[in-house]
Amino acid sequence: MNAKRKAYDMLKKKLKNKCLTDTLSRIQYAYDATQKMYPPDIVILAEDTNDVALTIKIANKYKIPVVPRGWGSGFTGGTLNVDGGICLSLEKMDKVIELDLENMMIWVEAGMVNWDLQGYVKPYGLFFPPDPSSWKFSTIGGNIAENAGGPRAVKYGVMKDWVKGLELVLANGSVITVGSKNIKDVAGYDLVDLIVGSEGTLAIVTKALLKLHPLPEAKKTMQIVFDNMREAAVMVNKILLSGVIPVAIEFVDKFAIKTVKDATGVDLPDADAILIIEVDGNKAEVELQTQKIEQLAKDNKSVISFSIAKNAEEEEKVWFARRTISPTLKRIANDKLNEDIVIPRSKLAEMIERLEKISKKYDLSIVNFGHAGDGNIHVNIMYHTDSADETKRANRAMEEVFDECIKLGGSITGEHGVGITKQDFLEKQLGRTQVELLRRIKKAFDPNNIINPHKMRL
Amino acid sequence: MDKRLYQAWESCVKCGICRSVCPVFKEEKSEPYVARGHITLLSEFIKGNIDFKEETAKDYLYKCLLCTTCVESCPNNSETDTIVEITRHEVIKRHGLPMYKKVLSKLLKNRKLMDFAFKSATTFSPLFVKEINNPRKGINLRISLSEIERNRTLPPLSKKTFLDKYGSNKNRAEIAIFPGCLINYTYIEIGDAFIDILNKLKIDFTVPKKQLCCGAPIYFAGNFEDTRYLAEKNIELFLNLDVEKIIILEPTCASMIKIDYPKLFMYFEDKKWEEKARKVAEKIIDPISYLYNLANIKERLRKLDIKTTYHDPCHLKRALKVKDEPRYFLKAITNYNEMKEADRCCGNGGTFSIDYRDVSLKIASRKVKNIVDSKAEYLVTTCSACLMQLTDILHLENKDNIKTVHLLEILNEALEV
Repeated sequence: MNAKRKAYDMLKKKLKNKCLTDTLSRIQYAYDATQKMYPPDIVILAEDTNDVALTIKIANKYKIPVVPRGWGSGFTGGTLNVDGGICLSLEKMDKVIELDLENMMIWVEAGMVNWDLQGYVKPYGLFFPPDPSSWKFSTIGGNIAENAGGPRAVKYGVMKDWVKGLELVLANGSVITVGSKNIKDVAGYDLVDLIVGSEGTLAIVTKALLKLHPLPEAKKTMQIVFDNMREAAVMVNKILLSGVIPVAIEFVDKFAIKTVKDATGVDLPDADAILIIEVDGNKAEVELQTQKIEQLAKDNKSVISFSIAKNAEEEEKVWFARRTISPTLKRIANDKLNEDIVIPRSKLAEMIERLEKISKKYDLSIVNFGHAGDGNIHVNIMYHTDSADETKRANRAMEEVFDECIKLGGSITGEHGVGITKQDFLEKQLGRTQVELLRRIKKAFDPNNIINPHKMRL
Repeated sequence: MDKRLYQAWESCVKCGICRSVCPVFKEEKSEPYVARGHITLLSEFIKGNIDFKEETAKDYLYKCLLCTTCVESCPNNSETDTIVEITRHEVIKRHGLPMYKKVLSKLLKNRKLMDFAFKSATTFSPLFVKEINNPRKGINLRISLSEIERNRTLPPLSKKTFLDKYGSNKNRAEIAIFPGCLINYTYIEIGDAFIDILNKLKIDFTVPKKQLCCGAPIYFAGNFEDTRYLAEKNIELFLNLDVEKIIILEPTCASMIKIDYPKLFMYFEDKKWEEKARKVAEKIIDPISYLYNLANIKERLRKLDIKTTYHDPCHLKRALKVKDEPRYFLKAITNYNEMKEADRCCGNGGTFSIDYRDVSLKIASRKVKNIVDSKAEYLVTTCSACLMQLTDILHLENKDNIKTVHLLEILNEALEV
């Protein structure tokens, strides 16, 4: 306790009004989208790398936990101060450092919001491909920590495919730059790839060098309705085999269709599954890709209907069902266990069938939707919190979902990370030896275990 | 405890989407000034875990425009505005009102006192205000408590109020008109425009003389008791009228009476008055929607050769859900160009613009570029408070060449006799 007091006094002396210690502020920085509350002892509103380095140095000296934080929109508790200590907020570090048009790269501070970056590069005819659903309210730093991706991942990949370099503050307070602007660079271990997806447990990312991509000339959105989920999954593979790589292939299962229909009264077909497909490229490419997909849909007996959005309004209509699911789930039950499992694409239909079995076994609604193109399924187990029995069943069902997913060669998380909410399942998936290796890596970076400790059971 | 509070807390899943839309957060960039932060703090307050004694803590509660942009974008429509209003009320119960808000409550409850205050202000106005050279005709205060407030462009006061001009005891008519205080005391020409339109269309109306302020300024500050007094007086008055529709010229007053009066009585668990409030609510409509629904107006509007753009008042768009009708008219009779982020709050927020003038101006300033980019000569809106705020910011940023105007004035200009 004494060490903490000394450290906080020193922080207050050096960083003055960048430190918040009053109860109200501590409550404001105690939560994220997991809705769990862990108030930090002190909040640091860092304004530059020096502030971060100074904070880490003091924390390391007195062995106090430091948890980095962006906009606090994470789903697995990555930014929670589970053991008190320092909340290191990077939300004020939101500036562009350098836009390098010749190399199509940009250096930004970690606190920049993904959407603001998109707005910044758009006038130059560029975009930043990773598009997590939270892109309007999550930071590049957070996206890096979770190796985030979004619907566009099918064609454009995820964060690790677009991060070329990082400025890091290490546990001893030293500042280093890893990676480079070189397309090819194999000097030493690839520390960029190690940090991306490390959930803020190895070092603090203060700046990132990101690749950009030219904006496509055109895009087109299609909808295919199926009377059979298995066929929908097969179709995904057929499309990719045909040489067409859509930007996004999203799916909505029959329970999700029903939920949206009941909640909004929107006229959706009675179907087993809907695929929403978006293609982009130059005009000729888009035309060709659309034709190929249309032909595949025509040849499939399970396809009830195929349609192409003719304008922005129709596009909006196609995406409506997919986007409306999450908010309407509350109508089924007041709470949900929401996990983002991922399985090899070929196992999509099988996983959906297993989920249906689990739903029946535990007598709970399970609504599924997500990114069929990359096998990422958002599984929503619905339950009422006022029923102890339902809550228990929901938790058991979720364990079984993870078990089945691992059996099929899948992963317990595709986008949200492990954090604290999935830490009990990590060893199940990776095995003890691998988790031990992760622990040794963590120790090499952070011998005193001060950087975002107690996450992922590391 | 109000069960709506629990619903609102529960429905907030802390995703943080409100951070991407809140106008105050955009300036402050810190958690206390966004819906998610408000909801967390206020739930801790209501549960008794924290108190709002210190000045900064009060900021956490009052630095919210109640623009409901967050509610609109929230996947679960968490009613942050309701939580903020009710918490403000709880704070007042514990710690009392600030002095100027006490004076305001006294004024609003008494029409004669209010008339007296405004008319004396008019008589002595040359002493403490100076007219500025601005197309809307504004005034600047000569003396004021703070430097910023002194540069504020306010609408000129008028010797004769709207109610003085048109108020009557007539009970039966096609429609009744409730001007709202800003039109009654300052922007009388906007009320005049509506009366002209009605006369041209030969619509029989009454302006009930005994109407009082709707109470919005004190309700939003959390003074529910005094608002209740005003609400009951107005409801009684409206229920005694034999009219088809009650046209409320100000969107804020309209949403106050239509939506917040029933909410207020729900808070007091007063079923009888809630029922009465709902009965009144059925008849309430804003003037633009009213005119839009008239059969004989559209073909009588002549085309005006002016370039316009439109600003959505929060209460008209988000509370009353009216956004297409004003655009319909502007597209039909002027050279209309939609500005970017037309529905972004102007930052007035009633007493917010007095309490936090600096933030209020920063928020308004973000609109200026979009207004200029629209290449409009006329910035049109449908709310006097927005009109005041936007005239103020355009003057401060030397954009007096863009005239601010109420849609009713444009419609009156275009409507053939």
